[in-house]
Amino acid sequence: MEEILRIENLKKTFKLSRKQKKLEKTNAEIKVAVDDLSLVAYKGEIFGLLGPNGAGKTTTLRILATLIKADSGNVFIDGYNVASEQDKVRKKIGFLTSELKLEDFFTPNYLFDFFSELYQIDKTTRDERKRNLFRKFGIDQFAEVKLANLSTGMKQKVSLVISIVHDPEVIIFDEPTNGLDVITAKVVTDFLQELKAQGKTIILSTHIFSLVEKLCDRVGIIINGKLAKVDALENITKEMCLEDAFFQLYESFGGKQ
Amino acid sequence: MKSVWTIIKKEFARFFKDRRMIISLLLPGLMIYLVYTLIGTITSSHNKPKDYKPAAYVQNVPVEFAPVLEGVLKIKTEEKTVDEAKAEVAEGEAELFIVFPENFVEDLNEGRCPDIQIYYNSAKEDSNAAYIMISAVFNTYMETSFTLNGSADIKFDLAKESELAGSILSAIVPMLMFSLLASACIMVASESIAGEKERGTIATMLITPIKRWQLAIGKIVSLSCFAVLSGLSSFIGVILSLPKLMNGIIGANTAAFYSVGDYFMLFGIIISVVLVIISAFSVISAYAKSVKEASSLITPLMMVILIMGMASMFVSTSSIGLYAIPLLGSGLVISSIMTFSISPLGVVLSILSNLAVSVVLIVLLSFMFKSEKIMFNK
Repeated sequence: MEEILRIENLKKTFKLSRKQKKLEKTNAEIKVAVDDLSLVAYKGEIFGLLGPNGAGKTTTLRILATLIKADSGNVFIDGYNVASEQDKVRKKIGFLTSELKLEDFFTPNYLFDFFSELYQIDKTTRDERKRNLFRKFGIDQFAEVKLANLSTGMKQKVSLVISIVHDPEVIIFDEPTNGLDVITAKVVTDFLQELKAQGKTIILSTHIFSLVEKLCDRVGIIINGKLAKVDALENITKEMCLEDAFFQLYESFGGKQ
Repeated sequence: MKSVWTIIKKEFARFFKDRRMIISLLLPGLMIYLVYTLIGTITSSHNKPKDYKPAAYVQNVPVEFAPVLEGVLKIKTEEKTVDEAKAEVAEGEAELFIVFPENFVEDLNEGRCPDIQIYYNSAKEDSNAAYIMISAVFNTYMETSFTLNGSADIKFDLAKESELAGSILSAIVPMLMFSLLASACIMVASESIAGEKERGTIATMLITPIKRWQLAIGKIVSLSCFAVLSGLSSFIGVILSLPKLMNGIIGANTAAFYSVGDYFMLFGIIISVVLVIISAFSVISAYAKSVKEASSLITPLMMVILIMGMASMFVSTSSIGLYAIPLLGSGLVISSIMTFSISPLGVVLSILSNLAVSVVLIVLLSFMFKSEKIMFNK
């Protein structure tokens, strides 16, 4: 299998503000969000990152997406270092997360064109891609409606399409079905499988066990910033279901339900 | 540079498709026009015709005093009793009723102190003004053996109308322009950067291959355009209303005093001032966590900008080095344009210093866009 993502001894800490210390009931000045995390993802697979809230999943994904920098360690995407070759990495990845928003004021059509220009995609490719993606997600029905007037599900579809406007090889999705109705959630999961079939690599962060069981080839379980386990889904679920396996691991790492 | 243009186009689309933004862009100019025109109209309605003289009844006027009084008052010749004359003053039909003692001149020559009685109505503006004026005339007459500018037909103030207008405008325009431009910049800068940060839309752009400096320049250029447009709207409001305002104040039309070159120079200075202000506000806006925080952080800087505009009224332009101080130099240039005493070197120094500061601030903004502490400091 061809390696497309390599994370080596990744570490990320955040300085806690007085307010954050109070919220987290700690006197520590620093919070370790990601602690010596190493993993590899292969081309054409769906890799699931599973973990409770605050485990470090989103921080890891933000480092992969070049939004923040690691304190130490290395991340390579298709051979490019995310810290020193950001422009090349950004062309390779698509990132969908609830913290990245699209301006409510614009229409899906305008936003698709705008982001296509930022990725320097030629007009013919852009139009063809837009036509296909809009038809697939039903966005062509509301392509000229401002985002402010769309439902959460419609907005999520638009966000998803915009995140892959440049046909990236590695697609990083952070909780892609959060807050979606069952129909839209199915459209998204079906599309992820379609992307996999196209040979794309998908890094999927979620805490929905059924989604991982349905989609992922391999799973990494993150607890307290550390990678507690990484293995093929079938190996993890050999003796028990994913949920039981997760909680067994979680308790062994000192977590409380 | 294509990415810079993409950002500019997007900012323009955001701005010009938003009706609220367009209204807030044009409203200051319209408001200035209406307010200044109103002030000018009210002021001019208070201005008296050049041959205006307060109407007065005079009793027992000495021959020596008659020409003086006729020079400044419209003496009413109708026969009135004392009570009737007083009643007319009380009703506002006459401004004054002056009563001289019967032997006024003799008493004066023999060293006695005769009393002149002046009846007036302090509740009536014209009567009050006439009383003050005639008191001054009598004081002058009594204390000196000569009159001062006694002839109403001679123009004693030799200032040119343009110079008079220029000196008034040089005091008003720099601070007015600075405050108008800063207000326009606050609106667009805080919304465009802190607003995008708050809404999470800027992070979506940061994961694309666009360079941070391209984003910074795209933002600054487009925001400067909006601020210039807003400033231009205010400027047009000022230009259109100033003739009416100045006509009310000094009875002169200022529009004719300045050449096309003066207006071009003014516009050039305005653009360089906008660049400095919008760059500074953008840096603060990028640092802030929300639009609200950006607005409150910008307020102290706004005060500094207004002080710079005001300082140009008091700072002497004799030292050319002062023109190299960003904003202050621009205030001095605007002031010098208004007073027809332009220093070409001063104009160049002022524009260059503003551009230099803007470049430094744009570079700083690019670094801020790279900083995760700043861009994700929710």
